[in-house]
Order: sequence, then C-alpha cells, then structure tokens
Amino acid sequence: MKDDVFIVGDEAITPLGLGSQLNFRHVVDGHTAVTEISDLQLADQPIYAARIDEAHWVGNIKDEHRYTRLEKLFILVLASLIAEYEIPLDERTLVVLATTKGNVSLLHNPLRTFAEERVHISTMTNEIQRYFGFKSQIIPLSNACISGSLAISVARRLLQYDTRYKRAIVIGGDELSKFIVSGFHAFQALADGHCRPFDRDRKGLNLGEAVAAVYLSKIPTNDAVWIAGVGSHNDANHISGPSRTGEGLYQSIQEAMQEAGEPALDFISAHGTATSYNDEMEAIALQRSGLSTTPLHSLKAYYGHTLGASGLLETILGIHSLKNNRLIPSRGFMHQGTSQRLNMITKSTQLPLNSFLKTASGFGGCNIATIFQKV
Amino acid sequence: MEKHQYHIQSYCRIRGCAIQINGKPFFNLVPSVPIGDFLKSAYRHLNIDYPKFHKMDGLCKAIFIAVELMALESGPYQRDTALIFSNRSSSHLSDSRHATGIFDTINPVASPSTFVYTLPNIAMGEISIRHQLQSENVFFIFDSYLPEFLVPFTASMLEDGKAGSVLCGWTEITAETCDLLLYHVGISTGPLHNVEQLKRLYNEEDE
Amino acid sequence: MSELTQELKAKIITQLNLEDLAIEDLADDTPLFGDGLGLDSIDALELIVMLDKSYGIKLADPKEGRKVFETIQTMADFIEASRK
Repeated sequence: MKDDVFIVGDEAITPLGLGSQLNFRHVVDGHTAVTEISDLQLADQPIYAARIDEAHWVGNIKDEHRYTRLEKLFILVLASLIAEYEIPLDERTLVVLATTKGNVSLLHNPLRTFAEERVHISTMTNEIQRYFGFKSQIIPLSNACISGSLAISVARRLLQYDTRYKRAIVIGGDELSKFIVSGFHAFQALADGHCRPFDRDRKGLNLGEAVAAVYLSKIPTNDAVWIAGVGSHNDANHISGPSRTGEGLYQSIQEAMQEAGEPALDFISAHGTATSYNDEMEAIALQRSGLSTTPLHSLKAYYGHTLGASGLLETILGIHSLKNNRLIPSRGFMHQGTSQRLNMITKSTQLPLNSFLKTASGFGGCNIATIFQKV
Repeated sequence: MEKHQYHIQSYCRIRGCAIQINGKPFFNLVPSVPIGDFLKSAYRHLNIDYPKFHKMDGLCKAIFIAVELMALESGPYQRDTALIFSNRSSSHLSDSRHATGIFDTINPVASPSTFVYTLPNIAMGEISIRHQLQSENVFFIFDSYLPEFLVPFTASMLEDGKAGSVLCGWTEITAETCDLLLYHVGISTGPLHNVEQLKRLYNEEDE
Repeated sequence: MSELTQELKAKIITQLNLEDLAIEDLADDTPLFGDGLGLDSIDALELIVMLDKSYGIKLADPKEGRKVFETIQTMADFIEASRK
C-alpha cells in the first residue's frame, strides 16, 4: 500500500505580488499582470507580457549581489515557504526544482554581469543549495511546459517509494528573457494583445514569469489537499505541434482519474495557452474524457505563460479556489472557440468545491494530468 | 522498499567518438573528429533511412543512435516504455546556437528550427515518435551521472506499474565531446539494475 | 528566374538540413509539404524567417504561407512579385 501524499503549504511570487493568498485575491478580483512592455532587452518590438517588479525583493536577501535575478526569486519564495511552515532543512526534506531555462538570459548576452558558467541549471541549483544549506541534494528537472506539474509528481513518487524522505519542497520558476521571447516570436506564437484562452478570436499566447512552490507531506494538516492521482504520457506525434487527437493528454487524464478512483470533478484548471492548436487539442482530449461539461478555466490571461512555474502556480491557485470554495473565471474568454464545446467559467461563483483536475502539455509532446482533492 | 529485482536488458555507451552496445564496439572514429561529423558517420553506419535525423541537434542525435542500437538488442520497445534521462548541460548546444543568433550584432535572427531544440526533453519527444513510446518522460539535470538517485527512482516508476520498462541514463553532449550511458531496464534477463553495476558500466574502459 | 529557383533550392537544402537531398533531386514543381518533400510546421516557420532575412519579405498572415510555400516555383513567383 502506497502512502498518501498531501500538499500542506504553498507560496508564490508573480507580477501581482508575493504570497499565494494575495495572488488568489487578485485573480478573483479580475486583475491581470499582463501589460504592454517596451524593452529592447526583451524584444525589438513592444510585447504583451507579465513581468515581476524588481523592487519587490530589494533588501530581503543576504549578499544579494551574488545571485542572479532568477536565483533571487527562487530564494525569496523558498525563504518565505520555509519560514511560514517551519520546514526542517535536514536530510529527510527532499527539494525538487523545476525550470525550463534557468539562467539562460545570461547566455552570450553582452550585458550579463555573471560568469557564463552560471547558465547551467545545476550551477544555479548549487547556489540555492548553498544559500539554504539543504542537507539533501536539490533535484532539478527540465521538462518543457509541464515541468512544474511533473515536479509535484516526481516528489510524490519519491515520498511514496524512497524511505529516506519524509517531506518535500517542490519549486518551479522561469523568467522573461530575450532568449525566450525571440523564440516564441519566431514560432509566431505571441498574441499582439491580451491572450484569450479557448476563445474564438484567440491569436496566441502572452509570456510571463513567476516562481511558485508547494510543501508536500505524508501527514495531512487540517486544510491539506490530497494528490489523488497523476498520469503523464507522451503524444509520440510531433516535437512542437500538439497532437490533433489529444492522445497523450487523454491518456494522462484517464490514468489520473483511475488512480484517484474516478472522483466527481468540480472544476478543471487547463493549460490553455491561447494558441490555436493547443486549445483545440485540449478541447478534444477533454471531450474524449467525458469532461466537456465540467467547469473549466485557463489562468494564462492573468499571468501569461510562466513556463516551468505554470503547473505549480496554477495548481496553487486551484488549491486556494478549493479552500475558498470559489471558482476563478477564465479571463479573456467570450465566445466558444474550439470544435468541442467546453463549460468555461465566466463568473467568480461561490459554491462547495472538493476536487479539481490540473492539466499541462508541452513541447516534446509531453502531457500531465493531476487530480487534487480536499482531505 | 524495492520489491522486485530489475535487469539491464541492454545498454549503450558513447564516450568521445566510440560507441559500444552491450559492451561490444559498434563504431568509432579518432577522437579528434568534430562531434557533428562523428554522429553523422555513426548514423550512416546504422544503415537506416530516417531523414528527420539530420534536423536534430547533437543531443537528440546521440540519444537517437543509442536508442536505435538498444532496440536491436532488447526491442522493439513496448508503448509503456518510460524515459528517464539526465545530463549536466541540458540543451546547451542548441541554447548556445539560438543565443548566438539573437545577439548577433550585424544580422540578429531567431531560427524556429534551432529554438525548438532548446529544451532537453525534445530528445525524448524525438525517440517517442520514432519508437511510438507513449509513456512518462522526465529529464533531470545533475552535475554528474548519479545512479544513486536514478536507480531507486527508476525502480519506483516500475513498481508503480506506470511503465513496463524504462530507458534511462546519462546523456551529456557538448561541442567538445559525447558522454552517454543509456540502458533499458525491465523484468527480462540481463545484469542486475543496481548502483554498483551501473557505476561499473559507466566507468568501463574501452576494449 | 531559374537562377532564383536554383538559389532557393540550395537555401532550402542547407537551412532545413535536408542532408540526403541534392539540388538536382528537387524539381521546381515538387510539392514541399505533404507527400512531396514532407516538410512540417517548423520548416514552414523557418521558410518564413528565410523570406524575411534573405529577401526582406514579411508574411503578414502565416496562413498565406501555405500557398506561397507550395513548390519552389510558387515561392520564386511570390518573391518576384514582391520585388516589383
């Protein structure tokens, strides 16, 4: 019999602020972090994106000049989570870190102020390791846009099977950079205004940045959320284009539902990047899973696509949605825009909520579905 | 908490410009050959027709060749073959190429076909397409090959029943050299899947 | 005109890494996508970048690309028309 694993704490920094409860309040109030940004260090043309205001962390980190911008964000969120939940930093605490690109903004960048060696994710992780003095080695993973959700799954499995670990911190983060913006621009994936997930008139995604973390334990607290089931499958179809049948996501949802014991779902937190193909693929996978009528949102219009943080950030907001018994509307949605109808959440309704499904899909054909339930 | 004993059904080692499959030499060139040329020659030596190979970056190419060779020994792979890879440099070869392009002072350019390879897990996507693997993928980043972590994690994935077998290992490909050890772990026969065994295979000298 | 088609063939073979192909293998009317050369969506994006960087032509609508990139000939015609 496998041990149950619970999320017993969370923390996040986003352009809307530091604190997961604060972020939840902003989102239900309809605030978005996405604005027009004109910055030649990011792109030659103005873009719609969400960026964290640097002023938020000044003075909060010791020897802060030693750390890159992204490292400081990781440190801020970890420090806040560890302090709030009094997490021991001994060898029984596993730390899993998710990022798609880490410090890549330094790479060949004429304006960089750190050694280029720092672009390596393991080097970045070692700096964070040293700052906190974690006794067990941080486990970094990089798995495209499912990294954040996958890191929760990896930590859960290690807690279930590896008796060395009693608890886990799972943290994910990525920052905006010319590297990422130019790539998505070349992919013609960027919207020229606010993104509109699942809408008829969607024209692409907005990029964002965030660092988000959850605290996992085998011992539930009063307001713990149980990680009831996970499934993750590759489409085996195309390295950048989503499967037209949504096969990998469909299989992931099936497996997660089976493991969770086929619970009734109160809502779905979809990936919903607002690109034409992604949203259509998700609609097909959800229809095949018999979930077309389950209330659904994408949070990308609030934060943009935060890459390696997105799965974690959106899971955290889903958890706060459960705890507050309040649905988060899918910002940017007005008209059905997929071949399969979806039950989009358009109002911030108050009602009893017990469980939700979080999905994510990414380049490389990877997909993941995770089911969370109140204890 | 390992309940079952798992086995290394096949393994492939690429070090410098030498490829071994199950400990036997398959192909090698003098170490001074550029990595790109070495991988292309190794592909020709495989004698298969897969034009997509030429579009891949070095990381994908090396992994592709290793997975192809192991398929001949312990394949064809089942659909529920999971992929657990690791390296130090992530997708640094393509990252560097993309960054060079966008920071070029005379003619800055972002190439979509380079950018798509700036994620290490794209390699897992490539071999999933080639061998129709529809299971779980995880790409870890470590300073060096870490069987102490990978062995129990791989075993847990098999214990969990989520995968029937796992392609696992270390895939560090830089502009200078290849350092790859991939192995196919399952319930079939072969050397025992444990840390000591894998350290031995990783450190084994060329014959 | 044939100079342009030859140039396009050479560019496509190198930029899209079509290693096993020689310029002679590529006819002016070989379909570039689907059953012809079998290019995919990433190749299409790469061709859009190539039009921009080599010929200074920006495709406003990505869907326009489907017609432009049908064959070497349609690409050459489009470039010629844009130059006028």
